Amino acid sequence: MSNDEIKKIQELFDNARNDKYPLGEYRSVGKRGVRRIDGYEKATGYAKYTMDVKLPGMLYMRFLTCPYPHAEIKSMDTSKAEALPGVRAVLRYDDPELPPGANLGGHEIADAPILPRVAHFQGEEVGAAVAADSEEIAEEALKLIEVEWKERPFNLDPEEAIKPGAPLTNPEAFPNGNIGNLDMVNVEEHGDVEKGFAEADKIIEFKFKQGYNTWAGPECPCGVFRWNGEYPEVWVKQQRPHISKRAIASWFGGVPMNRIQIHCLYQGASFGGWSQMGWNLGGHYCAAVVAKRTGRPVKWMFNRREDFYGGEMDTGVYYFKVGFKLDGTITAVKGRSVVVNQAMPVFGFVKHFAENTKIHNIYGKTDAVWVNKGPTTATRCEQNSNCYCLNEVFSRVASELGLDPVELALKHDGAEGHDLAWLDEQKVKLGFQARDSLKECLEKGKKAIGWDEKRHQPGAKRLPNGKLHGLGFVWTHEWDDSGGTSEIAIRLERNDGTATILGCRSDIGVNAETAYCQVAADELGMRIEDVHYKAQVDATFFAMTPDTSTNMSVNGYAARNAARLLKQQILEVATSPVVTQLGSAQPAFPGKKPEDLDIKDSVVYEKANPSNRKTLAELAKMAGAQGPASTSPGEPFRTGQPYLNYPYARPLFAHSWQVQMGTYADARLRFCRQAHFMEVEVDDETGEVEVKKVVTVNDVGRVINWEGCEGQQYGGAFMGIGRGRSEEIVHDPHTGVMLNGNLLNYKIPTMLDIDSVDTFLVETGMGYGPYGLVGIGEDIATVTPTLIGLAVQNAIGKWVDYSPVTPDKVLKALGRA
Amino acid sequence: MLQKDKEGPISEAEVKLVVNGELYGIRVQSNWTLQYVLHNKLGLTGTKEFCNEGACGACAVIMDGRPILSCMALAIECDGQTIETIEGITGAKHPLIEAYVNHSCMQCGYCTPGFIVTAKALLDKNPSPTEDEVKEALVGNLCRCGTYPQHVKAVMEVASNLQGG
Repeated sequence: MSNDEIKKIQELFDNARNDKYPLGEYRSVGKRGVRRIDGYEKATGYAKYTMDVKLPGMLYMRFLTCPYPHAEIKSMDTSKAEALPGVRAVLRYDDPELPPGANLGGHEIADAPILPRVAHFQGEEVGAAVAADSEEIAEEALKLIEVEWKERPFNLDPEEAIKPGAPLTNPEAFPNGNIGNLDMVNVEEHGDVEKGFAEADKIIEFKFKQGYNTWAGPECPCGVFRWNGEYPEVWVKQQRPHISKRAIASWFGGVPMNRIQIHCLYQGASFGGWSQMGWNLGGHYCAAVVAKRTGRPVKWMFNRREDFYGGEMDTGVYYFKVGFKLDGTITAVKGRSVVVNQAMPVFGFVKHFAENTKIHNIYGKTDAVWVNKGPTTATRCEQNSNCYCLNEVFSRVASELGLDPVELALKHDGAEGHDLAWLDEQKVKLGFQARDSLKECLEKGKKAIGWDEKRHQPGAKRLPNGKLHGLGFVWTHEWDDSGGTSEIAIRLERNDGTATILGCRSDIGVNAETAYCQVAADELGMRIEDVHYKAQVDATFFAMTPDTSTNMSVNGYAARNAARLLKQQILEVATSPVVTQLGSAQPAFPGKKPEDLDIKDSVVYEKANPSNRKTLAELAKMAGAQGPASTSPGEPFRTGQPYLNYPYARPLFAHSWQVQMGTYADARLRFCRQAHFMEVEVDDETGEVEVKKVVTVNDVGRVINWEGCEGQQYGGAFMGIGRGRSEEIVHDPHTGVMLNGNLLNYKIPTMLDIDSVDTFLVETGMGYGPYGLVGIGEDIATVTPTLIGLAVQNAIGKWVDYSPVTPDKVLKALGRA
Repeated sequence: MLQKDKEGPISEAEVKLVVNGELYGIRVQSNWTLQYVLHNKLGLTGTKEFCNEGACGACAVIMDGRPILSCMALAIECDGQTIETIEGITGAKHPLIEAYVNHSCMQCGYCTPGFIVTAKALLDKNPSPTEDEVKEALVGNLCRCGTYPQHVKAVMEVASNLQGG
């Protein structure tokens, strides 16, 4: 690596500014029809998931779960389970191999109990784990465990749980009350809300609830642990395999990182969710103990119902007071929320007002309360409540004044209390073109949904089919994390000169690996089919969560940096003398300097004389110089013969990295916007909501992979309408037992749940990532749930103050239930 | 044919299955589902378990020409049946595979084989379906990643090529 190149890469760390290295020509980046690298494997069923892993002698481990929402084990008799034929180990909470807590590799910083004695929600894995020759035997053995439970009083409702005299939800962790500790309160304040209310012509107050929804990924939580002699080999279904590896390194008195082998296969979706929470990663620790005790590999697994314990962290109650002038100008937003069981530090819910609008006076206070339900965490994603609150507030103000909510959004677009003109100045200062991202999104979206023609006042349009027609609109900025660290390497293969990208895998389906190939191909001047991502079985090349909140905006840089270095190496090799076994030989391009050459379509050529060309295969040369490359099979080996005078290029390998703060850490303002529209028909007799059309428009800065981005838009629209319309985990108020932990009664959307989805991508180049891109994966599913309630309000003229907007809630809003 | 196992309460039987054209004789316990036997005993891991109660279609296989949910079929009751799994469809180079790749119908990919099996059963019966017929055939297949619109495009493209060719 030359000093110049190192300097260039270091400059890239300061990427708050417009990208310094745009490509002159994008040949595979942003082109349609780039074949998915994992497409064939996944279509044909060849793709392997952790659930598919089966090793010789492997035991199957299942866990005892608590039948009560809050209970402790007084005594437990496992002798009958141990005696069942086929049972190889029963692990008990009081076994000496289990420490009181361990780093389990989730988001949590503190150690978590592994197999606790006390359960704080119904269904929690507690007390015992059974490993047996088959899953059925393990299940059978669990039924033979006799437990004497001591039931405790419990809380289910967050607002009840903070009243004086409420029972303690979790006296083990939070003995002083149900608002656990200082981390469980978040206050965000800008300007002076009281002053804002004094300036207002009108003030409204309202409340709404967010139901408890969850991820419901198709592959249940599972893992496999095997000891290879002294050292662990582990299969993880985990979005952050490197964090799992770090956690495992801290177990059993410490295991060196270089002795741990991690396999992260394809993952049957994740959406953040359970793979971030320590409590349900305890399976790995239990499996490690049992694998050590029995000398056999152990696969631990949750069943479908057990996957349902845990949910999205916006679950709770929200109160708002909003002041505004008669022209629609919002002068103050004051909110309070009570959210449930946040397993990570509490996140605010008025952030988008500050990051996204010119509103000066903003106040929001969140209390995170513990109730006896599964923990909640970022589930595509922690911005859910922010999107909901921003759009609820804007829509209610627009509705109060009879204004077009689209116009109200445009009127307030800005950042940190400043208007768009100010924001445009910031764009220009950082070297961007001052594009009006929101307006560009709105133009496409309004046209596609027919906003101007079809829009009407709330409750004003009944269709010939007897149903009420409604339109909804939501908007916000992009919120790609764009912070983190990543390392990626690329090597040029001998023999055929194809390029291999080396990096870790934590695939959950966003087609990231293809996108890295596109970036590398264009930077190297190679054909896309000549570049392949070879996922490392180990999490050695540490990439920043390749498939979660940060992907292309960090890993894209790492891939690009490595490609730029490799290209430089290739051009140096092409112009330098080549080593052979008998000495040295002429360069491939004698008398030329690296800067005289370029690469296109996997061919190195002289810029001034393009007919002077060599393919990368010709340059990389053949591997295995001992082999008489030109000798026919069966011919004697003739040492020292001229054909051994075979040019052998130096290894072409570049390893690079990226470290950046990102917009999440306020490294700079966010310039890209998104807007989504929905058309519904509501049956006011039954409360049924039919989603006729969704239009999603995202400014992604620059598209790398079209089908990947569109896939996120389609998928986000479907997941979004599920969360907004039908998905809620229900607990029996009397027993605290989860009632619908299955896919028959927890209804995720089907193919028929949206009639049509139109997708549009806007490319303003104002993102934080390479070429001005931003991520898209979390956006749509997090913004569109709000659309349902807003479209339904436009249809029926009443607010539904509880999401998901199920038929009973629509009828209630209409005064019919 | 059912035999009581001397060691325990679970009865077992030998069943014969023709899977993807190959004959298998396998001893199954009475509570084993067809999905379990295909995935865990025959190593045909493309037949996936998602909901495990007949709600999602990830375990779809074609049995005697009809798409069925293999998590809802007991293997012991499938004696003598002819079964086609995603591995068989792949082996036969069905054009749905390539269409699914080209239309990027998968994200995490866990449910994708179940969709292709269901779509293949549809096209076997009705080589020229309407879009609504495709949606109706696939409505029982759940995809949490929400790739649905892409499936319709892929299946319609294959159908029109089948007609054309």
